[in-house]
Amino acid sequence: MTQIDMISSDQEDLRLLRESARTLFDRAGGSGRARKLRDAGDGWSVEMVRELAEAGIFGVTVSEEQGGLGMGLAAAGVIAEEVGRVIAPEPVVATLGLTLGLLRRLRPDHPKLEQLIGGETVLPVAWLERGQNGGPAEASCRYADGKLTGSKAWVVGATGAHGFLVVAEGGGGPVLVLAETGANGLAVEMHRQADGSALAELSFSGTPAEMLAEDVAVIEALAGAVSDATALAAAELVGLSDRALDITLDYIKTREQFDKPIGSFQVIQHRAVDLHVMREVAQAGVREVLAQMDCETDPKIRARLASRAKARAVTTAKKITRDGIQLHGAVGYTDEFDIGLYLNRALVLSAWLGDDAYHRRIWFDAREEEEAAK
Amino acid sequence: MTDWNTLSDAEFRKEVRQFFETEYPEELRHLPHRPKFAEIKHWHRKLHVKGWVAPAWPAEFGGMGLNAGKLLIFYEEQQRWGVNRGRDMGVQMVGPLIIKFGTQKQKNYWLPRILSCADIWCQGYSESGAGSDLANLRTRAEVEGDDFVINGQKIWTTMAHDATHIFMLVRTDPNAPKKQQGISFLLAPMDQPGVDVRTIATLSGETEFCEVFFDNARTLRENLVGELNEGWTMAKALLSFERIFIGSPSLAQNALGQLETFARGRGAFEDPLFRDRFSQAALDVEDHAALYARFADQLKRGETLGADVSMLKIWVTECFQRITELMIEAAGPDGGTVGPLQVGNVSVDVLASFYKARPTTIYGGSNEIQRNILSKAVLGLPG
Repeated sequence: MTQIDMISSDQEDLRLLRESARTLFDRAGGSGRARKLRDAGDGWSVEMVRELAEAGIFGVTVSEEQGGLGMGLAAAGVIAEEVGRVIAPEPVVATLGLTLGLLRRLRPDHPKLEQLIGGETVLPVAWLERGQNGGPAEASCRYADGKLTGSKAWVVGATGAHGFLVVAEGGGGPVLVLAETGANGLAVEMHRQADGSALAELSFSGTPAEMLAEDVAVIEALAGAVSDATALAAAELVGLSDRALDITLDYIKTREQFDKPIGSFQVIQHRAVDLHVMREVAQAGVREVLAQMDCETDPKIRARLASRAKARAVTTAKKITRDGIQLHGAVGYTDEFDIGLYLNRALVLSAWLGDDAYHRRIWFDAREEEEAAK
Repeated sequence: MTDWNTLSDAEFRKEVRQFFETEYPEELRHLPHRPKFAEIKHWHRKLHVKGWVAPAWPAEFGGMGLNAGKLLIFYEEQQRWGVNRGRDMGVQMVGPLIIKFGTQKQKNYWLPRILSCADIWCQGYSESGAGSDLANLRTRAEVEGDDFVINGQKIWTTMAHDATHIFMLVRTDPNAPKKQQGISFLLAPMDQPGVDVRTIATLSGETEFCEVFFDNARTLRENLVGELNEGWTMAKALLSFERIFIGSPSLAQNALGQLETFARGRGAFEDPLFRDRFSQAALDVEDHAALYARFADQLKRGETLGADVSMLKIWVTECFQRITELMIEAAGPDGGTVGPLQVGNVSVDVLASFYKARPTTIYGGSNEIQRNILSKAVLGLPG
């Protein structure tokens, strides 16, 4: 088999994966399902997580020896794009990137890994903390004698979670521990987000938790998992942008004013073309990043690549969803039209793990550091 | 004769790179202007001896016979090393047209002369009333005995003052029902009393563009290529490869390298606002390159490119402009200074880059025309 054949068969695998994920989401109700779940205030659907697991979706980044499919981040990116297209509220990217990103690196032997791949459990990762001024702060949450004390913030997917993977200070260094949802002294406070989802603030007072890993390995695995999740969030935004623009294009082709479809006016057309070019550049850039991350082991370079992807995807999604509202006109400002759901989801995904301005800073600094090291 | 297409991409790239790096004269690298033929004659001779003047032509006509994938590599290496394309209108435009539509006699006569640069060609397409609306062209050619008699004027004719021949689109049937019909493709000698060339001074102070006036100029009837009144379709058939080439990342990449050198030298990176704008531009270039690679892969797989390839040109030319605008910003009070600006031990001609970027959004189908094409052919928008 020549090299080109290998690459094209990989592409074929990705195409099949994309098809099966798309079919699954469409059959479940597409973006209409997201609206229903939001209106019901249910967060996300346990059944959907199981169905996704049955399709093998939570196993894509886990190696075959560890019970996964071993398809890499490029495959996870395909799934993230499909999640974005239908703005599915399930914490798919958080689970693939953060939870599995940590566990497969630190504790591939732990029974929770298999349960996660099987969709039987959802374990959000809690590692950030809120400071006095309301912004992010240094970690101060402690783990001693098997118990957690302190607080964590900005936890994705806490609604319906079975427990939390918590990064804390263990005295001799960082630790990763597992706290069950109903554990003693664990309080969960939900902060409602623009798209109807919630970010959780956790506070622990002597909460019992199981030690999973410790020391520098935890820091390294966390960095790797955050890079993975950042790039996958970018892919989710790429899928979201793609669909948001399609919805907008359909609208401007049919909405008539002055006895013509508004999409026949050149000013609208050129705007639509600019959005289209943006989405194509974003898709190409983010997919290239994911493929490169699969071949890259240097954590700093992986982080720089992830920042490149998130910066591009956020800029694109913000522009497409906001211009999407404008091109819809007054109905774009109503809750009835789907474009607003995409705008709201883009707001939440953009803020999560850093927006475009943030990631351009990280990217620039990483590049300078690499330059200086040369 | 070597069949280059049998080499792996990496082997071929190495071969091309090695030839450019060892043979191309250092003083001609990254020329900021279009050279007259005399300036690059020696390089052209080397290429001619090597048999590399016409990479895209089939081997039977003296070309390298490269497939689209190899051709792209050839051009990438050419741009990477800053190798001037030379006076390649003959090779790029006239040759392929004669190969595709010409008579045996035309092939035998013109093709070797293009390769040796015995004839230097310029392109007579645009007119003052026919720019973006090229089919509106008015220059007439009428049959008189064995000749066509040409009257009218062409404009933006690049390097016409250093050309021996012009290939042109002329109106041969003014009564055709559609303006795209009734246009023919003619070859004509420049050195005759009925042809007058005037250079146009541009903003950058260069005189690459010309106006060409035809006052009862003559060319032989046998210099019609293809059928009479079929010129429009023929000229359009040639554009497909040019459309990816014109959207290649190299101009923006080179400018970004210059910007980085200059901005670093001038301490512009100390300003966080400037850092962010630089990062935006650099990421714009990186992500464009990813999209370009997608189209290039399509070509390498032997697929034809659709109208969507136009987006490469829109993105990269506008990005190129922003990069050169950032250079001016970084130059501060030197932002209006003509000529190279010193930074450390290198110099960067900020204004030359800025001017070079301006026409890129105008030529090759203005970016507004490209947006019209994408809007209809790709997005399917009405009207």
